[in-house]
Amino acid sequence: MPTILVLDDSTTMVMSLSHILKGAGYEVETGLNGREGINKLNEGVKPAVILTDLNMPELDGIGFIKEARKIAATRFTPIIVLTTESGGRKRDEARAAGASGWLTKPAEPAQLLSVVKQLCPTKV
Amino acid sequence: MNGAPPPPPEEANEGLVCAILAEQVAALRAGMDGTATFDLLWRTTSLLSWLSCLLKDMPAKTGPAPAELARERDRALTEVAEVKSALDNLAFAQAQRQDFARQIADCVVVALERMAVAEMPAGTRFSSGDLAELYVSEQQRALHDKVLQRLRDPAAPAPEAPAPTPEPVGEAPQDEWW
Repeated sequence: MPTILVLDDSTTMVMSLSHILKGAGYEVETGLNGREGINKLNEGVKPAVILTDLNMPELDGIGFIKEARKIAATRFTPIIVLTTESGGRKRDEARAAGASGWLTKPAEPAQLLSVVKQLCPTKV
Repeated sequence: MNGAPPPPPEEANEGLVCAILAEQVAALRAGMDGTATFDLLWRTTSLLSWLSCLLKDMPAKTGPAPAELARERDRALTEVAEVKSALDNLAFAQAQRQDFARQIADCVVVALERMAVAEMPAGTRFSSGDLAELYVSEQQRALHDKVLQRLRDPAAPAPEAPAPTPEPVGEAPQDEWW
């Protein structure tokens, strides 16, 4: 079963995203900031897709993407930014850091799953 | 000397007010925890999934049902699926609204803390540009710009009340990926 790594500093958002993704048949790993995300990757978690917020304490989304791209196992893993930010500058920063895509909150569960399924269609 | 209490010390101190307001907003933000509500919503949708599976498995376990009962079962399955989908959408939309409100509250708390006496060394200032650096959405930046414009040009129309967080609608356009 493919694993999705979800990073958001809002516990409610993490739980909500986990609920939706698990309901669609995915395994879910979570973290409350980019540092926790990097720790998960270093512990051997191999996500098929990563969903990350931008504004997080300790290590923000951009910083997380930069570090994740230095790890061999996640050099090419799709990373989708899910954020309240819609500004072009932040979007350019995320793209330059290595993000694969961008979804602006509020999003719908169907919208989110549509993106995840396109990136990771091997759902069991 | 009469027994009247002495007047309170002078307290014309905006910094102190900012410090108190920061604590007030921080307390408000801490109270934004809707975990119990979301937990109940998710338990309800999980229960609906379970019921749906039971209803689907029923013919295989109990044999074919009378036609009328089979029709009722199909209607119930349709209804359960619709309600579950609506609850999933509702929970996700509410979670995102709450997240957005929490981020705005964070921004207000940080700004007030920086303007408060305890956090503001003498001679330092906190500008509207510093405030703008704390924003997390274009919605906040647009309102900020409107207020600045109004203050610089009193004849300019007052900013409209910020629009509520829009409901998510429809499928993501492909270019929404970037």
